Amino acid sequence: MDSEFQFMVVDAKDSPHDVEQARALLAASQLDVDPHIGTWVFCRSGDRTVACAGLDHNVIKCVAVAQEFRGSSLSLRLGSEVVAVAAQQGYFHLFLYSMPHNRELFRGWGFYPIVEVPGLVVLMEDSPNAIRSYCDTLRREKRSGSRIGCAVLNANPFTLGHRYLVESAAATCDWMHVFVVREEASEFSYADRFALVRAGVAHIRNTSIHEGSDYIISRATFPGYFLKETAMINHSWAAIDLLIFREYIAPALGITHRYVGTEPLDPVTSQYNREMKCWLEKAPSKSKPVAVVEVPRASANGTGISASAVRQLLRYGDFAGISKLVPKTTLAFLENQHPAVATLAGAGAGKQ
Amino acid sequence: MKITKEAIAGTLESSDLLVKVAPGNSDVLDIVIQSEVIKQFGKQIRRVVAETLQKLDVSQGSVVIEDKGALDYAIKARVQAAVLRGAASEELDWGRLS
Repeated sequence: MDSEFQFMVVDAKDSPHDVEQARALLAASQLDVDPHIGTWVFCRSGDRTVACAGLDHNVIKCVAVAQEFRGSSLSLRLGSEVVAVAAQQGYFHLFLYSMPHNRELFRGWGFYPIVEVPGLVVLMEDSPNAIRSYCDTLRREKRSGSRIGCAVLNANPFTLGHRYLVESAAATCDWMHVFVVREEASEFSYADRFALVRAGVAHIRNTSIHEGSDYIISRATFPGYFLKETAMINHSWAAIDLLIFREYIAPALGITHRYVGTEPLDPVTSQYNREMKCWLEKAPSKSKPVAVVEVPRASANGTGISASAVRQLLRYGDFAGISKLVPKTTLAFLENQHPAVATLAGAGAGKQ
Repeated sequence: MKITKEAIAGTLESSDLLVKVAPGNSDVLDIVIQSEVIKQFGKQIRRVVAETLQKLDVSQGSVVIEDKGALDYAIKARVQAAVLRGAASEELDWGRLS
């Protein structure tokens, strides 16, 4: 060995003891152990953990170096290790969460700031031009008009509620842009969700459908959205996603209004809607505000239509119930995907 | 040689460099170089990178470099390694690389 330091890469599940050791180190940097980290890189000096970095898929977080080793080459070795581990796991486009005062340190790792919530957190990525080149791609889809709308749908799966939202938004806008969340963290695959959105809004003349990306409700920009735990709802994390929308995506497409359904049931989405008004309209930013329009949720039989209700009915194979909540295109897909259940349910429903 | 997948080579340590290559979404070659010694040696570093890519016949994709003051032959070796990994190349004419 050429140095006093030993680096080790461990799976979070296999090494609770090592993770506990890192807790004190993180606490000294005002950080806590993030439970979603799958892989840790620890640096040991003797039996002491002197530096650590966590990897949650393509996102680096919980980076800490013991006080006396800061400013040494240790941080760069740690950076090299964690980037190499990510590459081995197949992640090449990396994001990193840091406190704003450590921005310069991570510049040395080859990371560049995207957006910052002042005093709280900065999101960085490992390329100086990736988000700009993404915006250049978007800009080709720009449409003219004084009122340009946008909605971001997970559509898990696409319902009459989604259709109502897009229809009513498109009716008030010169053009409507719809993004489909790309993260594979839902019951239905991205490819299926995208196809159902496309089929479900095909009849609306002034609407474009866009692929989701790492920059729009993704694990990197908004981890809490996919965790769906009330405790994880974190002010600054929703802020990151919304600031990226306001400062990069909205200007690229000339978006003036963001549309969202009212959300009485799901606390994470409901909180997200409230924060949307704060970060898109009110918060100080170098970019123009984007107006937030809440569209009352469409309802069937007196209750709001939701994708979660559809998933629930699907579990019971209740296609008669589902048919009241989804357009024909989604219904056909669901029946096709669960032919056995559809036949059974059809027979059962007929007897009642 | 065509970059068909993402790959990295090198480290962030002093006197080394980290090279990341990826297939681009257009047919241009996009090279970004960040270096601690860009003011003194930026021109020279850019020349070594461009020449190395040219010898490998790389004309499209994205190449992002974070340099920590590496010498020319380290730059050349790391760029070659990243491209070869990104091209998943089985055959290589080493003579062309010298």
